[in-house]
Amino acid sequence: MSSEKQAPPASRRLPPPKPLFETIGIASIEIAETAGGMAILAGKVLARVFTLRLDGAELMRNLYNMGVKSMPIVMVTALFTGAIMVIQAAPLVERFGAYGLLGWAAGFGTLREIAPLLTALMINGRVGANNTAELGTMVVTEQIDALRVLAIDPVSFLVAPRTVAMVITLFMATIFADILALLGAAYAGQGLLGVPPIIFFNGLTSGLLGIGDVVNGLVKSIVFGIIMALASCQYGLAVKGGAPGVGRAVNATVVASAAGIFVLDYFVSFILG
Amino acid sequence: MHSNETAPAHEPAHELDEPAPAPPGGLIGVVGGIGRGAIDLVRTLLALYSVFVRTLYYCVYGRTEPGAIAVQMYEIGNKSVFFLTVVMGFLGMILVYQGGLQTLRVVPDLSMLGATFLELLVRDLAATIGALMIATRVGAGIAAEIGSMVVTEQVDALRMSAADPIDYLIKPRFIASVLMTTVLIIWSASVAYASGMLTGWAMFDINPRTFVNASLLDIGDISVGFAKCLAYGAAIPVVAGHSGLDTFGGSEGVGWATTRAVVNASLTVIILNIIISVAGILIFPT
Repeated sequence: MSSEKQAPPASRRLPPPKPLFETIGIASIEIAETAGGMAILAGKVLARVFTLRLDGAELMRNLYNMGVKSMPIVMVTALFTGAIMVIQAAPLVERFGAYGLLGWAAGFGTLREIAPLLTALMINGRVGANNTAELGTMVVTEQIDALRVLAIDPVSFLVAPRTVAMVITLFMATIFADILALLGAAYAGQGLLGVPPIIFFNGLTSGLLGIGDVVNGLVKSIVFGIIMALASCQYGLAVKGGAPGVGRAVNATVVASAAGIFVLDYFVSFILG
Repeated sequence: MHSNETAPAHEPAHELDEPAPAPPGGLIGVVGGIGRGAIDLVRTLLALYSVFVRTLYYCVYGRTEPGAIAVQMYEIGNKSVFFLTVVMGFLGMILVYQGGLQTLRVVPDLSMLGATFLELLVRDLAATIGALMIATRVGAGIAAEIGSMVVTEQVDALRMSAADPIDYLIKPRFIASVLMTTVLIIWSASVAYASGMLTGWAMFDINPRTFVNASLLDIGDISVGFAKCLAYGAAIPVVAGHSGLDTFGGSEGVGWATTRAVVNASLTVIILNIIISVAGILIFPT
């Protein structure tokens, strides 16, 4: 009954199962290809950044589009996340019976993990996807080839400014998110648990947390920015197959960046201790 | 949030020329901007509400198409398993590692780490981080698929055949997502707990027998966790489907719709999280 109404019948059937080893092999080769492409791109971008061959106007435009326009999302996410951290830390603190520890319990989670992680995930959804769509559209409409014809290096004109802009955006957004999340946490603590903000901030600064925790989160934000920028540019430049290819690339970027963010988060946490 | 996402799609060429489009000056500009944002937000919320209500209506009175839900369950569920396993495995390791280090600063005893971790996973983190990942993968997929149907006028063809696209396109995804999100989140929680247990064993020498401890888990935690699974599973396809149906402007529009779907679905997860968490605290006081 569906076949004559819409959508080719193929999309209504479950795909036939592929052999397991073939699936694993294809997936591994694809992952290796993307990782290799990202490494080569990273080398190219580094060469442009150290010799200062990147387009200034493009950098400013991307900083505005990525940074300034992401602020509302970062603000909403940070305020709510801070409040959620307090809600989740509340039973922990009540068990110890020490409300002075609320600032510590919500603070270390926010500063070290949740603020950098959630900021990166939200910016990944907005900026990473957008970046791939933009570059992918340029690839399928042959604008990149046009740049090459004009003897303009696509890496220094398009990729390097985007990479730098994304790292700066994520670094600044994480500082912003740290502050707002702690504010959200302090007032949620007052509203839900009756802990005055002053006690919350005392718990935060009583010596259990230090500048090291903030730096830990900020180092992560830089790593996340680099991986997101490289992944989104690599997937964008590797688009094949017209407009549907752009859609697939956008989808692949957000998934790959999100997985990369979690994997790197673990290794950075482990290395920094 | 809606206005920020759509504005550049209207005039991409304009944006290439000017880095910062100059707003109308003075107080009028500021108030006008806030007002426009608020009106856009209310419009989006009303549209989402309408999509949600119509989806529920068609769940009961809609046509039945054998196999459509199974295909979507495969798309949403089976294809996300690998991604969620990787992400939640690493999340479990990160949380136990950081939590253990921080707890050692205050108390020298890690015997309750496993129990606290389990409580936190069940009540919040498994559902919320898992749903953020599902919103990213599944939300982008739904919006891209429906969006390209809109720009190739397949959705108009459906409407012309007197078939509501919500019945044909969103309802199967909605039912599949509610079921599969719950299943995926239970799987994610198990993966995160297992990887956390191994981390605790390797790094802090916590015996897995001590780590596996459900004594802190009560009916409140489980109800809140389950409510979150259902709410996120219902919200993600509605928000993403709405973004997809709202697509305009060719293949570039599909890119914008995809971005908007991911951002709006993630924000919806975070906002639902705080609503359900506060309700949980009020209904089940600790």
